[in-house]
Amino acid sequence: MIRAVFLTALAVVFFFVIWVYNPFVHKEKYEVPQQYLKMATDVSYAKEGKQLFEQNCQACHSIRYDGVYIASVQANPNLKTLQEKYGKVLPRNVYESVFQSDLIGLKESFGKVPPDLSTMYLVKGPEYLFAFTLEPQKVLPGTSMPAVMAGRPEETAKIVAYLKSVAEPSPEEKNKRTLMGVSVIAYLVVMGILLWLWRGRVLKRMGLH
Amino acid sequence: MLGRIGRWIDERAHLSELWQSQMVDYKVPKNLTFPYAFGIMAIVAFVIQIVSGIFLTMYYQPNVHTAFDSANYTIMKEVPFMWLIRHVHAAGANFFLAIVYLHIFTGIYYNAYKKPRELTWIVGWLIYFVLLVTALTGYLLPWGQLSYWGMVVTAEIPTSIDSAPLIGKFKIGETISIWMKGGYEIGQITLGRFFGLHIWLLPLILLLLVSIHLYLVRAAGISSPDGKEIDKKKEGVPFHPYITLKEGAYLMGYLAVFFFFVFFHMSHFLPPDNYDPADPFKTPAHIAPEWYLLAYYTVFRSIPDKFLGFVAFNLILVLLLILPFLDFSPLRSARNRPLFFVMYVVLVISSMALTILGVMPPTPTNAMLGLIFTAGLFAFFLALPVISVLEWGWYKAKGGERR
Repeated sequence: MIRAVFLTALAVVFFFVIWVYNPFVHKEKYEVPQQYLKMATDVSYAKEGKQLFEQNCQACHSIRYDGVYIASVQANPNLKTLQEKYGKVLPRNVYESVFQSDLIGLKESFGKVPPDLSTMYLVKGPEYLFAFTLEPQKVLPGTSMPAVMAGRPEETAKIVAYLKSVAEPSPEEKNKRTLMGVSVIAYLVVMGILLWLWRGRVLKRMGLH
Repeated sequence: MLGRIGRWIDERAHLSELWQSQMVDYKVPKNLTFPYAFGIMAIVAFVIQIVSGIFLTMYYQPNVHTAFDSANYTIMKEVPFMWLIRHVHAAGANFFLAIVYLHIFTGIYYNAYKKPRELTWIVGWLIYFVLLVTALTGYLLPWGQLSYWGMVVTAEIPTSIDSAPLIGKFKIGETISIWMKGGYEIGQITLGRFFGLHIWLLPLILLLLVSIHLYLVRAAGISSPDGKEIDKKKEGVPFHPYITLKEGAYLMGYLAVFFFFVFFHMSHFLPPDNYDPADPFKTPAHIAPEWYLLAYYTVFRSIPDKFLGFVAFNLILVLLLILPFLDFSPLRSARNRPLFFVMYVVLVISSMALTILGVMPPTPTNAMLGLIFTAGLFAFFLALPVISVLEWGWYKAKGGERR
């Protein structure tokens, strides 16, 4: 009995450490004022954020999963023809070869093509994105990203909220998923208990208990 | 009507006879403990992987330009409910391996690899090995930063053979590495062959091996937790309904935990860094393999000499394979073997510690700890023959005979 408890506890702690929370891994922390963090994670600012993105970021960055391409591409009449053929989100190889000259132009001025930001929220999280966009040189010294948003924390937070709305499912969708998850788990637990009770009765009838 | 159709089929296929002989008349020990349910859980995990994998293949595109978008846009955003299938497949792979590890450690604890079950153990080892390769090939497919750089590091590992004293000059390691990648760098050819292996060849091999494993389990009978073989004519309980209902209830609990992760905690199974598209010009700061390979990786990393490290982690796999022959003691099950139990605890703690050390930075202290726990891992395997000799002594002193 003691052995069983010991080995079970060992296994549970082990999987908790590797799957849920690992205290041995050091994670960078970025200080973000509470009010801005709240705005950056609230997707109701996404619409304003999109406008701010178009004004401040679109010169270099695309958000392909939202059909938003860099400004020079967006002004190109070819884009519409291509979107009629391939849909809102162009395949990456099509986008990169048709608009190669625009992307090479950016590469010449910045040293590399500024990344597409479709999934950036999932990669970096709101704290990093907020801190980096506001003061790029402080978070990542030597980066070629200009400090376009310097001194505008509220607008930066709204842009991060827009990135979140593109990367993550909408709040209604999330609620649906939560409901789905809770019902699946509840079903399985109830079925497990019923099976166990039924087994008791079957075994009693067979005289095996 | 349905009953008549059923009877018509049964008269021709004799399914009810098969059920009677294989499920009801099949007797197993009454005292099977909870860990015995890991077997059925592994089968269910395998079925989940195959079904979810078939659906993913319908939308995934094995092309370096479109693979990332097909996984993260088409599957995650465009097609309804495909996010669920991807979550199930990603979490399922981790759960499958976790259950297989628990199954292996259960087998070691109850000495389920001893005569007449050596072959079951060996086939099980083959399943484990093929499963690791399947997981490795599948990990490249989303074509994110972790997928790409994880594979860069993995494909480097065989080249450590080339630093060996004599055989090094034949460049065997480099040949293997190029053969794995299909060229000098990871690209379309790598993705294509990994896709083919991951969705066709390896699952079919697994299916075959799992069938043989199940046949062997039935042929040799299930071991018992206290190490005594039961006389099937006199003792034992019918497999159905005694075990099926018990393990069915456990299975529901397992699935509940599994779906908790699928719906509410995917950040480990779909890690943030892998939402970054693969970029051969941007090396990430920390590259470590997935958790199920970390113990081998730490052994490889903590030994200063590259070639010795390579030999050491392969040796662990070989020792695991020949485990039934290292342990020739007449006693069975850790319940009756105090010395074996102590070494078993050493094995468990060493392998867990090596896994956790794998994600930590390679500082000198961590390398030292890695060496200590590597020694612990080998100590288990090397202690087995010694324990066996001692236990033969006790066994004979108590008047036991060679069977």
